[in-house]
Amino acid sequence: MRAGAAIVFASLVVAWSQAAPAFSFPPFQQFSEKHSGRTTNCSMCHMNDDGPTGNGHGQIGGLTKDQLEQLNKARAALQPGSEVDNPILNKFGNEIVRKLGMQKVLELSADPAKLPEALGNTTDLDDDGIPDAQEYLDGTDPLNKSHGDPAKLFFINLSRCKLQIALAVVAVFLLDYGLAHLLKGLSIAAKTAEPK
Amino acid sequence: MKNGTAFGALAHFLQERFPVDKMNFHSMVEKKEVPVHSMSWGYYTGGLTLFFFIIQVVTGLLLLFYYQPTVSDAYASVEYITKYVTGGALIRNIHSWSSSCMILFAMIHMITAFAMKAFEKPREITWIAGVLLLFITFTFGFTGYLLPWNQIAVNASKVGLQSVEAAGQYLPGQLSQLPRMAIETFQGEASVGQSTLGRFYAMHVVLLPMAIAALLGLHLLSVQLHGMSQGVDEPPRKVEKFFPVFFFKDVSLWSAVFLILFVIASTVPFDSFLPFPLLEPYNAMGSTPPGIKPEWYFYFVYYPLEMLPFWVILLASNIAVVVLLLTPWIFRGTSRRTLRYISLAASAYLVVITLFGQDILHMVKPGF
Amino acid sequence: MIDSVLFIALPYLAIFVCVFGSIYRIRRQPITYSSLSSQFLENQGLLWGSVPWHIGILLILLGHFIAFLMPSLWQGAMSHAVVLAGVESLGLGLAIVCTVGLVVLGVRRITSARIQAVTSGMDLIVLLLLLAQVGLGLATAVMYRSGALWCSATTTPYVWSIVSFHPDMSFVQDMPVIIKGHIVGAWLLILLTPFSRLIHMFAVPFQYLFRPPQQVVWTDPRRQEAAVETLSEEESRRHFLKASVGISSGLLLLGIGVTDKLARFFFGPRLSQKEEAELMQFRLDRLKLTAEQKQLELERQESPYILVGELADLSPDEGKYFIDYAMLPAMAFKGEDGLPLLLSAKCTHLGCTVGNKVDDKGKILCPCHLSYFDIKSGEPNPNSPAKLPLPHIGWVLMDTRGNVLVSRTASGQTKGSADQAALAGARVYIAKSLAEETT
Repeated sequence: MRAGAAIVFASLVVAWSQAAPAFSFPPFQQFSEKHSGRTTNCSMCHMNDDGPTGNGHGQIGGLTKDQLEQLNKARAALQPGSEVDNPILNKFGNEIVRKLGMQKVLELSADPAKLPEALGNTTDLDDDGIPDAQEYLDGTDPLNKSHGDPAKLFFINLSRCKLQIALAVVAVFLLDYGLAHLLKGLSIAAKTAEPK
Repeated sequence: MKNGTAFGALAHFLQERFPVDKMNFHSMVEKKEVPVHSMSWGYYTGGLTLFFFIIQVVTGLLLLFYYQPTVSDAYASVEYITKYVTGGALIRNIHSWSSSCMILFAMIHMITAFAMKAFEKPREITWIAGVLLLFITFTFGFTGYLLPWNQIAVNASKVGLQSVEAAGQYLPGQLSQLPRMAIETFQGEASVGQSTLGRFYAMHVVLLPMAIAALLGLHLLSVQLHGMSQGVDEPPRKVEKFFPVFFFKDVSLWSAVFLILFVIASTVPFDSFLPFPLLEPYNAMGSTPPGIKPEWYFYFVYYPLEMLPFWVILLASNIAVVVLLLTPWIFRGTSRRTLRYISLAASAYLVVITLFGQDILHMVKPGF
Repeated sequence: MIDSVLFIALPYLAIFVCVFGSIYRIRRQPITYSSLSSQFLENQGLLWGSVPWHIGILLILLGHFIAFLMPSLWQGAMSHAVVLAGVESLGLGLAIVCTVGLVVLGVRRITSARIQAVTSGMDLIVLLLLLAQVGLGLATAVMYRSGALWCSATTTPYVWSIVSFHPDMSFVQDMPVIIKGHIVGAWLLILLTPFSRLIHMFAVPFQYLFRPPQQVVWTDPRRQEAAVETLSEEESRRHFLKASVGISSGLLLLGIGVTDKLARFFFGPRLSQKEEAELMQFRLDRLKLTAEQKQLELERQESPYILVGELADLSPDEGKYFIDYAMLPAMAFKGEDGLPLLLSAKCTHLGCTVGNKVDDKGKILCPCHLSYFDIKSGEPNPNSPAKLPLPHIGWVLMDTRGNVLVSRTASGQTKGSADQAALAGARVYIAKSLAEETT
């Protein structure tokens, strides 16, 4: 019974994704853009900038036979926790499906503001210190270590590079201390030399 | 005979600008004095520009070890630097931040030098060399911007180059094709592509550095020869020695600025300010992504270009270049007080258009 | 047995004698607890011997003490390869400086007759012992590398076991002879402290470092002037000293940081196989893209027709991008008449690629400067930055066997006609002949 439902649902998913050819889940992108004020595109979760439909790299039309099989397997991953490697999705997209399952993703597409809550703050695929869910809210690239909200990155990296920055501060302080004394010494020496 | 006097006048002109008897360590370094007054901070702006230039040279040389200037590999090699090479992200980030700082301080330096009337006789050549240096610095920014070969880089370069083509419509007959031909010659092919990348690379790492080194030599030589300009109308009451006092103050300022640059470069990635679709590898087959804009230091010409008819910009920029080059003669009799007002107005324009250009454009042309 | 004597009995004897002997001597013979300066007798040799010796040995001893007093901190710092290498080379350099200084001092003691007059037997013994000790230390540093690291598991716990009265010589028992010799030498030197000039280390005039320069006031104006001059000379010297300390240590620290970064930068990444494969894949994809583009270019130079796509695949509201004969972007729609509608996609304003989605007014948008173009006429909106229309592109419709069904030039002249049935499987091409006609 359960398997039957899953098959029906999977075919629904396929039908749905075919019905909306240009974007697979535009509500998420639209929400991210609206919430952050930054432009994003499909490549936040997809392999290709222009989404999954087309004949390009990482698009359904450009997949090999093996990849198509992978795609179908991944589309059937309705429940959370299954290891998916969907060739049209990037690491973040796959992580979402792995964590939530396709069923939940479809549900959430009606209310994309709930996605971060469902994802939680535990994953940070690019290790930039900003959780992926937050990067979705900020409209920044969750897979690029040097892309994130500048203010957040500033504080995160500041604490990450504490030691180096402290050493640099010490070095510059020593240098300036030395230069200040050099100047004082020189001016005293110059004054002493003047009367002669 | 007439020829002889013209030659004599030229020789005299050069002799005044480059007094050979002063070309020694004693008068160029030991004797040089720096006036102390309310505008003294202006004397440090040139040094800071030089400092950022040195940083650019060093970090640029380092990036050269990994960068590959081909359409297929440029993006991948830049990503390799930032993602895999230890310290690569930091070095590239310093290069990006420092480039912006260099341009910023070059602009500030020019405005303060103008306000302090530092172009007065015999410093005309110093001024002209400085103006040319500023142009070269902008060209550095423009050519370097293309090298990562991502969406924003290629598309912004395309738009920037194409906008020159629009000048053709004001030229008569056959001449109207001249701007297009000039642009195609400059970029090496009909559209921005491999030839353009190769040419921009050659300019960015060989031609422009050589040009800037030569002009910088001339600029610094004449600065040292003639000493600091007085800067204010009434003769300053206090002076300090250039060496060692001013020199070491300059060096300690450099070290503090280095610290700030280091902290910012190791914490805030320069690219973070752009939306990520613009940072993807350039896709020749797809549509241009929205949000293509030049770097902030071109805003002062970009936003007017968006809002006003092209001929206004063309005329204004040509006049601006001529005025800048002829400043020592145009403003020969102007008091520093007036010059200061002019530079204040210019800086107000630059600041407002750079910070609020987008909003102004939005008001003038809703939809942007 | 002999080990127990050397590493347990000797240490306690040495510490006991050193502590009580020194107290006794300082109490009873306070005048003698100095190093009996011989500066009046000979100055030059003393300067070149004593200064390097003392700078070197003080810093080296400081290193030994930190390693002993703060073992965990020390170990943490040393586990960093660059710090370890820095400390090792610094120690080695200082040891060499020490040796040079000591040799100069030794030669001075032996060759200067005036000094020999005041040299005791104990002075020579101490000198030789110190020389041996520094030599052994140097040998340890050279032969048994990373001493700063291995000490935290051997000598540090050994010394701690001695001072905490739980002597445990097993930490050092199996060490090489040279290291053992260095340890024994240290205990011997401590033992000899109360009996030799070594006692002067308890008489370091630290207060000299911090007291303000003394100003001597003379009643004689000439002398007063000279005194002021000396004073300011001394003051400027003091500033120079601070300056050199500040600048050199600042530069050293910066230098280490920069060198560290640069060394790693040039060393380059060492990628895992997976990363390497990913990178390779990415580069390959980019190369393929470039190759594809070259292929397109070649195709456009050689073939008379280029396929745009199946007529059935074209849509009236979303353009299909293709590359025209001039290698510029173009797009294909299905027109109202059911025939293809081909337009250049290069914006006539500044050359951006125009978007391919048609809005409800039948317009497409260039995202760069917001020019709207009508797809039927190609004309831009009157207030758009673009002033010229997007040019139409001529096309040819062929059936699957390659028979031309319909064709249209860029200017809109249509040749031939076809019924719906024939159009069903038709394909859209651009033709070289039509492209050349327009230019």
